[in-house]
Amino acid sequence: MTVLLALPALLLMAVVFGWPMLRYAWLSFHADSVLTGLVPIPNGGANWLRLLTDSRFWLDAGQTTRFAIVSVGLELILALAIALLLDQRWRGRSAVRALSLLPWALPTTMMALGWRWIFNTPYGPIEQVAEAAGFGPLNLLSTPAMTWIVTVLADVWKTTPFITLILLAGLQTIPEDLYAAFRLEGGSAFQALRRVTIPLLMPYILLSLLFRMAQAFGVFDLIQVLTGGGPAGSTESLALYAYLNGMRFLDFGYSATVMVGGFLLLTALILLGALLLRMTGALRAMQP
Amino acid sequence: MSSKRSWVSSRHAVLVTLLLIWSLAPMIWQLISSFTSSEALVNGAIPFQNRWTLIHYRELLSSDPPFWRYLLNSTVVAGASTVLTLVLAVPAAYVLAQLPRRWRRGIRSGVMAAALFPYVLLFLALLELARNFHLGNSLFALALPYSALAMPLALLLLTAAFEGLPKDLDDAARLEGLTLRQRLRWVMLPLIAPASASTAILVFLFAWNEYPIALTWLSRSDLLTLPVAMARIAGSSIYSIPYGAYAAATVLGAIPLLLLVLLFQRQIVSGLTNGAIKG
Repeated sequence: MTVLLALPALLLMAVVFGWPMLRYAWLSFHADSVLTGLVPIPNGGANWLRLLTDSRFWLDAGQTTRFAIVSVGLELILALAIALLLDQRWRGRSAVRALSLLPWALPTTMMALGWRWIFNTPYGPIEQVAEAAGFGPLNLLSTPAMTWIVTVLADVWKTTPFITLILLAGLQTIPEDLYAAFRLEGGSAFQALRRVTIPLLMPYILLSLLFRMAQAFGVFDLIQVLTGGGPAGSTESLALYAYLNGMRFLDFGYSATVMVGGFLLLTALILLGALLLRMTGALRAMQP
Repeated sequence: MSSKRSWVSSRHAVLVTLLLIWSLAPMIWQLISSFTSSEALVNGAIPFQNRWTLIHYRELLSSDPPFWRYLLNSTVVAGASTVLTLVLAVPAAYVLAQLPRRWRRGIRSGVMAAALFPYVLLFLALLELARNFHLGNSLFALALPYSALAMPLALLLLTAAFEGLPKDLDDAARLEGLTLRQRLRWVMLPLIAPASASTAILVFLFAWNEYPIALTWLSRSDLLTLPVAMARIAGSSIYSIPYGAYAAATVLGAIPLLLLVLLFQRQIVSGLTNGAIKG
């Protein structure tokens, strides 16, 4: 009977995670918008046909994937450097670790607003410095390329601490003797990093990659507040597109289709990534 | 660890300083801006001693609703979500930890998949539920989706904690004639207190910061949580945003989190790492 104790928690999860996906799957085969008076009417596969030829969906899918890969990649490199620094013993390490955690703890929308001021043209500090150095206005939030870089930067700033902590936990499992032995055999510090640290850290790297890729693929808060998807849709993510379809265009049928489509794409990407890893043999390192 | 300690300390200090600048500079810039008068924000020629003001804070606290209201709302939502999550997750984790190995693995993969799920995709169907069951514009109702969304992490952390306890303990307490309730309350709970604390602080932070669900469930301006209030401020207009006031809002909004991070650093770190790794 004690099994019943698990029921409320699992039930709540089933409703909140499971029901929406069933509902979307159903809605994606219905027209449900202002045109139908917000009443779902079966429309066969019309939503799905539309999705396949919707250039905005595929553009956003590409942009979201690119955003996820570039920002998570940068985060990983930066996090590895920071984790190596924090893994060493020095006075005040714990205070520095706490402060470096702060970006992760702050609400995304709050910092997105902060970034809008920092990247403001012409009054923000970056523009002021660029102006003084003679680079002219950078138009950080009004040219597509610059805005994209700024968005990635804001995401890297916020989520690097998460990867840092995972990698730090991994570093602490590597016995010091291994390094001593490696040095005795004449290996340099860089070789130690490449031949000892990174291979042993691989399970932790893959784990943080998995978590962060999934999160970055669903990026919403940052983009909605920082750029609104602009300029000219150049930073729009799939989640934002689904949101706009539902909440602005009031087209729930198509919004649901975009969400299922996005979810399928993400699943395909993760499977593809796992397949690539398996082919390169990196997954074997996953077994602790 | 001798080799690690012998690292050149000056190079070290430089790297640590860089790390701190990277992590804190955006916040410090907000702090400076929040005390700078609106004219000085757009005019660098104003002399140093004439640039400073408290007006942004005064405006923020006298607006309607006053800014502290959002902080209060976020605290209520986050507190309610934390309590609800723990109340549901602790007994569930106790049960899950006792299931036969085969089952446990299956349930764990399911929970892990939910933990990875980009939950923003759920907002539309959850909004429908909120409409049908009249859950919109209620801070306590918001705790329902929040604790469901935080549940995967809570289950991963707490199940691992229960699995770490000696199995004989529960049996011995049972033989002593303690009921399930008594065993949970007096034997198990004290032992999993560290994992519960980690879970609590992470759920609290998640609920405090959550945006898309709060955005769609709350519309009354006196009920907005901090993230939604901030976004609404940002959405007003791109060109006429009074940045001084928003910098002040950022500072006020960051203070509670700064305190939480400094006070509960240990719990946050162990929760995040265990949640990802033991899962």
